[in-house]
Amino acid sequence: MAQEDISFTDLIASAIHDMKNSLNLQVSSLEKMAVQCRQRGDASASESLGLIIYQANRMNSNLIQLLSLYKFGKSIYPMDVAEHSVSEVIEEALLQNQSVMDFKGISITVDCAENCYWSIDRDLVTGILINALNNAYHYTSDKIRVAAKIDKGFLEMRVEDNGKGYPQSLLLNDGVSANKGVNFASGSTGLGFYFSSRVASMHKNGNNQGSLSIENGGAYGGGCFVVRLP
Amino acid sequence: MTVPLQQANILIIDDFQGMRTMLREFVKSMGVTKVDTAGNGKDAMNQLRMTKYDIVICDYNLGPGQNGQQILEEAKLRKYIGVSTIWVMVTAEKTPEMVMGAAEIKPDDYLLKPINQGLLESRLEKLIARKLSLNGIETAIKARNYPAAIAQCDQQLEAQALHPQEILRIKSDLLLTIGDYETAKALFDSVLAARSVPWAKTGLGKLHFHAGEYARAKEIFQEVLAENSMYMDSSDWLAKSLDALGDTEQAQQVLLDAVKLSPNSPTRQKTLGETAYKNGALDVAQAAFEKTIKISEFSSHKNPAVYAGLAKVFSDKDSPEEALKILEQSKSAFKGNPEAAMQTAAAESLVYHKIGQSEKAEAAMANAERLMDELSGKVNADVAMEMAKSLFKLGKKDKACGLLRNVIKNNHENAGISSQIQAVFESEQLGAEGLALVNESRQEVVNINNQGVMLAKEGNLLEAATLLRKAVENLPNNEVIIMNLCGLLIGLMSKEGKNEAMVLEAKQLLDRVQDLNPANKKHHEYANALARIAGDK
Repeated sequence: MAQEDISFTDLIASAIHDMKNSLNLQVSSLEKMAVQCRQRGDASASESLGLIIYQANRMNSNLIQLLSLYKFGKSIYPMDVAEHSVSEVIEEALLQNQSVMDFKGISITVDCAENCYWSIDRDLVTGILINALNNAYHYTSDKIRVAAKIDKGFLEMRVEDNGKGYPQSLLLNDGVSANKGVNFASGSTGLGFYFSSRVASMHKNGNNQGSLSIENGGAYGGGCFVVRLP
Repeated sequence: MTVPLQQANILIIDDFQGMRTMLREFVKSMGVTKVDTAGNGKDAMNQLRMTKYDIVICDYNLGPGQNGQQILEEAKLRKYIGVSTIWVMVTAEKTPEMVMGAAEIKPDDYLLKPINQGLLESRLEKLIARKLSLNGIETAIKARNYPAAIAQCDQQLEAQALHPQEILRIKSDLLLTIGDYETAKALFDSVLAARSVPWAKTGLGKLHFHAGEYARAKEIFQEVLAENSMYMDSSDWLAKSLDALGDTEQAQQVLLDAVKLSPNSPTRQKTLGETAYKNGALDVAQAAFEKTIKISEFSSHKNPAVYAGLAKVFSDKDSPEEALKILEQSKSAFKGNPEAAMQTAAAESLVYHKIGQSEKAEAAMANAERLMDELSGKVNADVAMEMAKSLFKLGKKDKACGLLRNVIKNNHENAGISSQIQAVFESEQLGAEGLALVNESRQEVVNINNQGVMLAKEGNLLEAATLLRKAVENLPNNEVIIMNLCGLLIGLMSKEGKNEAMVLEAKQLLDRVQDLNPANKKHHEYANALARIAGDK
């Protein structure tokens, strides 16, 4: 095959496809091992496995975000805004993180009406939620609350934790948009925030546009990740 | 599907052994006992042929050979799966094919990797619930009882079922199918009042297109695409509108952009081929027709017109051997299909004509004409028009005119077909003659029809029926006359009582019209009236 016949997009897509298959198998085997550890009462091994699974999940969500951002940049992302049940979208995001939350003993409450429907790109919004849950997992003590409601023409989704909250510097600098450099101490690249705010702004209705913000407080007085979609 | 998840028969299709094992373990852990797996399209097709599955979990990207969408289409075409089968496509990333409206045959859902057991189980349970709630609607659609399907949609909406907007979208498709444009418009407007939803806005554009307001339709489709560049349904309709406006260059560009994003739709590739051929862009046309043949090998879109189109391209490129080779392929691909044989023979004749082998050209055309006669006027308008073009090229003007006259008579109220026929005449520098022929032929049918109506009004129902029966025999594709005869028979029976032979005759007329045009406005009314007379209701 001639060099120019290979599309870079296809190459990235198939490489990511391959990596995701590997990760999917890895995580599923690790989850099986973790269950066995717990069954024979090996708490410390089970906890270590939980951490490994968490990292694998993060890697996976980073891969998705990178591929999506690459496609946004090239205007080839198949944006698909359609009406979805918000509680179902939340439920599925939680199911993807279920095992790691269990390992760390984190309890999650969901506050969303069954008949809450909203027009969103399901996969992108699930991506935002998974990223927010990964963050909350990192910062929380033991509780996370996911809440969604429709308010003045916007769907407001909140992911709140009972940790110490975001550092003042992040809040002051509007961490969402300013957090661009790589912070090697925390391992944060700002990718998750950047992805989430891009996705939020891609949701439009008339003159309104989606937005992302972080704050401290909420039901538990910890960090709050808030996304509002028109 | 009507069984609970645990009793379902499940097929898993994935080229990757590890994924197959993982998915199988997932469903087994859910309590499912009947699970089969397949590693490629061929194995999958064998399994689907032998076993009726309730759920198919299929990886989209299966390496070389068929992809998941092609397996789904072939399975549907071969009727290995029905409306009750749940088909879940598993993919690593979202592609334009997944966006609503991109493919004509769609899986029930897409599942993005990574997948874990909890996620898969939750999704399958939801899909089973959805299948169950849409069961009535889908069954009615399959039986082509569109009014019943619409009534079911309304029931669901009143009962505040799950996913109201999905039901609205299904309902709007049905309204467009039966040609109830007024109700469809009200539905689109009410959805669009809250936000610009691509399917509703595209629907609104379609209404303008149907009303012949192509410029307005074009604007709307462009707006949808500005907001959702991947909404392929809108881009297909934009190309259609541009074509109707005579801007075939722009239409070609829109289609080229669309196939770059979503290359695997046979209808889109075929339209691109035809449009590019009109524009004289032979390389583009060749590539598009070749791709169409490749991707529609196992689909209901497999079409002899594509082979004929490709042959014309080769012929214009001065590669007659290639052209004849393609037509040979067409012959073996459509064995036992007289309409296909006719199209192939007509195309063959043109190829021979171009290289000066007039004897072979004559022989092929004679063959095409013989097949045409055998089909006794029941060929569709597009095929007949292609045939007429070939006849003109061979200098058989009288035969071409006769054929076109017949097409008009069969479609005397169809403005689109009249203008297409006018274009055929104009390309032969026979514009004025064409116009006269179109008007004359139309008038002939109008006269017969009026005569029938007059007789009926005077109370000579039997005489009117005899007249219209003869007209239907001569013009088996004319919806208006078929429906008038049907109406007359119904009128006769309501006056003089039921008559088994007439009930049967009327039923056949109704079936014929539904084949010709599911959107026929009187169909529903007459079908109900007939059912009352026949005592079915």
